[in-house]
Amino acid sequence: MATTAERVRQLVADNLEVDGQPVAVPADLSVSLTDVGVPSMDFVAFAKVLVREFDVPLTPDDCAGFSSLKDLAAYIDAQAA
Amino acid sequence: MLRSSAVGWWWRPFTEVAEAAVFLIDLAPDAAHEARALEWLSVTERARSRRFVHAGPRRRFTLCRGALRAILCHRLGCDSQRLTFGTSSHGKPFARVDDMPEPISFNVSHGRSHGLIAVAPRGRLGVDIEERRAREDLEDLADAVLGPNEKREFGLLRGDARTQFFFRMWTLKEALMKALGLGFSLDPAEFEVPIAVRRGATTGTFRFPDRPRVLWRVDDLGTEDFAAALALEPIPDRCGSSDG
Repeated sequence: MATTAERVRQLVADNLEVDGQPVAVPADLSVSLTDVGVPSMDFVAFAKVLVREFDVPLTPDDCAGFSSLKDLAAYIDAQAA
Repeated sequence: MLRSSAVGWWWRPFTEVAEAAVFLIDLAPDAAHEARALEWLSVTERARSRRFVHAGPRRRFTLCRGALRAILCHRLGCDSQRLTFGTSSHGKPFARVDDMPEPISFNVSHGRSHGLIAVAPRGRLGVDIEERRAREDLEDLADAVLGPNEKREFGLLRGDARTQFFFRMWTLKEALMKALGLGFSLDPAEFEVPIAVRRGATTGTFRFPDRPRVLWRVDDLGTEDFAAALALEPIPDRCGSSDG
């Protein structure tokens, strides 16, 4: 079964794009959504996707606050524990 | 002060609303503009610029921050090296000159091709710009950010009018949330754009339901090219009275 980090990476690939191109996320998820250049409207949409996927409380501001996607995945794991 | 050169500026005055001046930023790829902007950025800002994974967001950040520095330095009468930025608890930046906070208010927003910078001598303000485009997730987004009456009105629209309405509401709401300084820690579905503005007025007044003391001014700054909005805190008059 895919780990949370792998699922987050897949959700980014499936739901986000920058300037019409796929988002480049390193395998270790060391970048944040802000580093990727996700605009505020996509933050809102992506937060909804994450809530739907993982059933955890998550606002767009929360998403913007994580310093990396790895931290976001760790937060989701902690909420689910 | 930043001096003009053959490179030219990539921003120009766009409009004025009360004491606020709004500048339009050209974010089209331009190596000379980007190089010039980068020269003005601080070490921290350059590092921030380098962290962007993609070239487009890096360019937009650099051009917007460079333009912001130029505009603020012009208004504050200082060199770029003397200008630094602090941030509020919700991440809203404020200006410092020689490490002393300045009362000047500013806010920045950008889409893909255009940015807006709003500046006022005092009072909180927020600006937002979005280039309209069809989105597959428009219904989901509308569900997330529109209030009950706004959703009802959105539901009556079809096609392009639906997209136009959504982006108009989005920019008005985001400008208000940015002006308040809370960003998306505030739920945009918990307040509604004034009815007159929803129905087409380009300016109106607004009170957050849970913060009714402040009467905000909101302006629709949209053009054919983009949706945009400005929210301003009223300035107290000489007697010190205001609606705030």
